[in-house]
Amino acid sequence: MAPPPIPRPVAAARPLLELRDLNIAFETSRGLVRPVQDVSYSIYPGQTLAVVGESGCGKSVTALSILRLIPSPPGKVLGGQILFEGRDLLSLSEREMQSVRGRDIAMIFQEPMTSLNPVYTIGDQIAEAVMLHQKVSARQGYEIAEQAMKDVGIADPGRRLHEYPHQMSGGMRQRVMIAMALSCKPKLLIADEPTTALDVTIQAQILELLRKLQRETGMAMLLITHDLGVVAENADAVAVMYASRVVEYATVEQIFDRPQHPYTEGLLKSVPKLGAHAQRLVSIPGMVPNPSNFPGGCKFHTRCPRTRELAARANPAETVEVRSGDETFRVMARCTARTAGPVAYARGHAQLSAGAGPVGNVDPATGGGATAGEPELREVSGGHWARCHYAENFEKSPVTRPDLANKREVTPEAVASAELGEVTL
Amino acid sequence: MSAPLIVRARWGEGYRLVSSTLTTPAIPTSPSASGAPLLRVRDLRTWFPIKKGVFQRTVGHVKAVDGVSFDVHAGKTLGLVGESGCGKTTVGRTILRLIPATGGEVIFKGQDFYKYRGAELRRLRRHMQIIFQDPVSSLNPRMTVGNIIGEPLTVHGIATGTERDDRVASLLHRVGLDPAYASRYPHEFSGGQRQRIGIARAIALSPDFIVCDEPVSALDVSIQSQVLNLLDDIQKELGIAYLFIAHNLAVVEHFSDEIAVMYLGRIVEKASSVELYANPKHPYTMALLSAIPEPDPRPRKRRIVLSGEVPSPSNPPTGCPFHPRCHVTRDAARQANANETVELTIGGRSERVLAKCVNECPPLEQKQGETGHVAACWVTQ
Repeated sequence: MAPPPIPRPVAAARPLLELRDLNIAFETSRGLVRPVQDVSYSIYPGQTLAVVGESGCGKSVTALSILRLIPSPPGKVLGGQILFEGRDLLSLSEREMQSVRGRDIAMIFQEPMTSLNPVYTIGDQIAEAVMLHQKVSARQGYEIAEQAMKDVGIADPGRRLHEYPHQMSGGMRQRVMIAMALSCKPKLLIADEPTTALDVTIQAQILELLRKLQRETGMAMLLITHDLGVVAENADAVAVMYASRVVEYATVEQIFDRPQHPYTEGLLKSVPKLGAHAQRLVSIPGMVPNPSNFPGGCKFHTRCPRTRELAARANPAETVEVRSGDETFRVMARCTARTAGPVAYARGHAQLSAGAGPVGNVDPATGGGATAGEPELREVSGGHWARCHYAENFEKSPVTRPDLANKREVTPEAVASAELGEVTL
Repeated sequence: MSAPLIVRARWGEGYRLVSSTLTTPAIPTSPSASGAPLLRVRDLRTWFPIKKGVFQRTVGHVKAVDGVSFDVHAGKTLGLVGESGCGKTTVGRTILRLIPATGGEVIFKGQDFYKYRGAELRRLRRHMQIIFQDPVSSLNPRMTVGNIIGEPLTVHGIATGTERDDRVASLLHRVGLDPAYASRYPHEFSGGQRQRIGIARAIALSPDFIVCDEPVSALDVSIQSQVLNLLDDIQKELGIAYLFIAHNLAVVEHFSDEIAVMYLGRIVEKASSVELYANPKHPYTMALLSAIPEPDPRPRKRRIVLSGEVPSPSNPPTGCPFHPRCHVTRDAARQANANETVELTIGGRSERVLAKCVNECPPLEQKQGETGHVAACWVTQ
């Protein structure tokens, strides 16, 4: 079965946004917690990058830190760069940053009720965003606000301008947020789980709206979500995050057709597919680890089916015994921080037992470097990065900067030829 | 023992005549005869009054559930799916009498559940349980996990003391948690673990029927599949019937034997899960199925994107409640004679729809396909 035509790759322009080895930490009473470690990915103009992961993986913290919205105590940037059109956002002053926020990069959040101010009208809020970034009068600001609301499909915008958030439904409020975000025509939209709180038919409307606005304005989008269906239908490239690290990074087709990381495989298998009528869902055992208590070695090894399968067939000298709660199993030694001796973990958690060695050769000052036993992110095949010792070809793969230079650049013509039969009422 | 006692009981805003003898009907201890459903719901209505003004006069009703009927068979799962505001959660709670019904019948094991009162009611309640959606608010934060799970055993006088502790430990183990956790408090657990505690509490009394009210919606993807597998195992082991309420049609379809689709307080389609997916008859079901994003980047199915929002249940549209958003009635109006259509202004635009859809509400009736596949639509066959 031939896939529909994919738009021709365009020669790599400079990425619009590039994260390089970003390391964020929080100072807590229990010590330093590192929810984002060595995260690198890039987004090109017009591209949609989906960042996928479950709660606690660091995807939202990464996004907030792009706009420097993490409060500075307790948050700290330990290292890395956030390059937007070549400029390192981390080196900008707060004043300079304010002109980036809203104008060049905009953000929409998951819960529209808590992101909209309940005591101001919708018109006030959108106009405020407009007037902050563009030199216009109040009247012009309101006119632009009304137009923005019309663009996002809100009926009767003149009347709605004077309504308050509580008078609108969830889907409508999300449209208002999008109108606010897009009112200054940003180059990049960061959407943090924009449809998770919405019903499925409203979700379809909102996503279709975002795609349409992208086509019209050429805006790039960083879409954060845990819903693989949303990823499949909206993303060009995907970065999968687990426990503070990017574990896989590739185009959307590659991620779904040939996932290299066992966590990605597990996620794909555990989603019930409409019409599949499977008897039992494949699930990933255990739980997502707490950021203050990551396991040593590869952070996924306590739940990883691949390492267990390999250990069952391998030479016992290459394996290590792991005890998790009342379960005991063997994993490949390379995946852990130790090379010999049993490792014990509390049930479901991945805690280092006493004597299992230090977390790794991490310099707390700069925060860089993988811990002992942890695989680096390597390019296992052209344009496909994975962080797993046992991914295909991992040993021979180079450590390159994650950058999808062969990504599809989404132009209106390309999209028109790839889209099929959307019936909108 | 005595003459029938006529009692006027106030349910919501309507009055329902409840007559009972002082000896209420015996609670059946064995499952009903094979073939007869475990639970029959007939024409269930739950209306909430809207009160306005200084005197709090009732000016209208929110018809959260407006005439819902279905059967649930022992050991089987009926999925109830719909979007927010359609009334599915209210149906679940009304069946269990957590919210009083305004009308209709709930027949559990052949007996009218709404006839019971007091101690008799409590005795019947142990056969029906509920698992809530929010793992955070459904567990009392001031009780230990052991007490939360053991409370039903104490309330119904099933077990006390060490016997109770033993049963709690085995329940914890059954749901995949370490029995040593019985002395911990809910805040020490993750969402998925709390949901397991909720499940342990629900199966503590070995009920025949459990209402699962969106049990996995608040959980991460990989935990959802764990919890669904657990519910599946428990069903096979204990023969429990489920009413599985959710808005995620893929999850419901995977899990249910039969599915009922709700819209604005009514069931608009009901069929076996295989049949519903293969052959949806109601336009809303078709839109729901096509709106679900599939985890496959390649095949782009023909998508139906509905316009507008779900209307408010206090002010439902006339005739068929779905007509303002229905693509089928618009297509049919294009083919029909002008005198059979009506022009409507929706969201600032003018559309033509079939007059019948605006004037009369379609009944739920058998459509072509499997026996038992019913839908409420004037147009589709």
